[in-house]
Amino acid sequence: MPELRVVDCGRVSALRSQTLWHALAHGVAAGAPPTLSFMRPSQPYVGVGYHRRLDEVDLAACAAAGLPVFRRMVGGGVVYLDEHQQFFQIILPVGAVSRSREQALRTLLAPAVAAFRAVGVPAELDDDGEIVVGEAKICGHGAAQIDDAVVVVGNLIERFDHTAAAAVLAVPEDVRAEVVRLMERFVSPTPVDAAAFKAAAVDAYAEALGLEPVRGAMSAAERGRLVELDHRFRSPEWLEGPARPEPQCRQVKVRAGVYVAWIELEGSRAMATVVRGRIERMEMSDPGLDGALTAALSRARLVG
Amino acid sequence: MSEIAEVAGFPVALDRAYDPAGHFWVSAGDGRVRLGLDALGVETSGTIAQLAFGPVGEQLKRGQAFGSLEAAKFVGPLTSPVSGTVVATNDAVVADPALVERDPYGAGWLVEIELSDPGERHDLISGASAVKVWFAAEVEDYRLKGVLAE
Repeated sequence: MPELRVVDCGRVSALRSQTLWHALAHGVAAGAPPTLSFMRPSQPYVGVGYHRRLDEVDLAACAAAGLPVFRRMVGGGVVYLDEHQQFFQIILPVGAVSRSREQALRTLLAPAVAAFRAVGVPAELDDDGEIVVGEAKICGHGAAQIDDAVVVVGNLIERFDHTAAAAVLAVPEDVRAEVVRLMERFVSPTPVDAAAFKAAAVDAYAEALGLEPVRGAMSAAERGRLVELDHRFRSPEWLEGPARPEPQCRQVKVRAGVYVAWIELEGSRAMATVVRGRIERMEMSDPGLDGALTAALSRARLVG
Repeated sequence: MSEIAEVAGFPVALDRAYDPAGHFWVSAGDGRVRLGLDALGVETSGTIAQLAFGPVGEQLKRGQAFGSLEAAKFVGPLTSPVSGTVVATNDAVVADPALVERDPYGAGWLVEIELSDPGERHDLISGASAVKVWFAAEVEDYRLKGVLAE
């Protein structure tokens, strides 16, 4: 039976909690076996999705709190990460993965759902592609094609500080308060034994992929790539990211289908809470902004 | 106005060449050409959340990324099927990625490239009949593999 390399990096620095798995992805693209890796950051930090504007992060607040900020190659938004999160990554050659992104994600998240269930968490993969218990997301995930490898990342959230997570966002205070309120409703930790979860994840991914799990380590080539990635991820150019247009309607995604969106016009602000396509709540400092917000929301693409 | 045919349930523009590996189209011509995603490329991408392109003036070799696409928090490269220099990028799709889904063969174009090796066009699929046959076979293959629903 072909091998599933299992690399458990243990507790690592904030930087390495990103660069290690990026290096492993380059390794799989270059011919290393399919790989399931684990790591846990030793300190809190902030991750920025590949396409997101850096000005979505409150850099001053991060600096004051001593939080490093790193841009990752997978998608999604600005996320607060800390030592109470056990990261996992499944990495496969691109040819082994469906060409449909949605299908690839569902296929590669399903074993994670099985792992949650194996440790007593009644997790499900919902229609929006989130791993949930009830309506609350319990696992942050993202994916990327890196060279000729596909990586899907996720986490077991043992504890989650909703206030700290919202504090790193560059948003007005009323928006921040609404984000915290929604996070408390839609993002839940699952305080289970991380070792048991990892063991269950190894079993679930090996079975789903038809691979034999084998404990492994990084190759020399991957270690070389790791050093390059460390350098790249620390560079201001990488952190800045690709050029992005100024959005007409700003938004924070709390989980798939749940957003806080707002616009600012001439010193006035209008904010809407959108839950699965429905506006649950609207607030505006100037009633005249009602039409502008509705129009902006109809134009905005509440995805990503 | 390009001729759009329906092939196996998908719209396909017949006046251009196609890259079978990446499901990109390349407009006609040996000089300045446009690139975009074909209908299967759009379908398998899912709802596009973000698009980004490299700088105008960038020299590309065939197989190099000219940008990136994000859908469902999945980021992937947009890989050029031809070599050349990027001479324009479509700001409209960066601002509104849904344009690629609404009009993949028109306003949803991605970049313009000045070809440096027009001979590479021979590796693309072109001609109305050949395009129809290839595209239908691709849809059939995707359905067989379960990438597309039956």
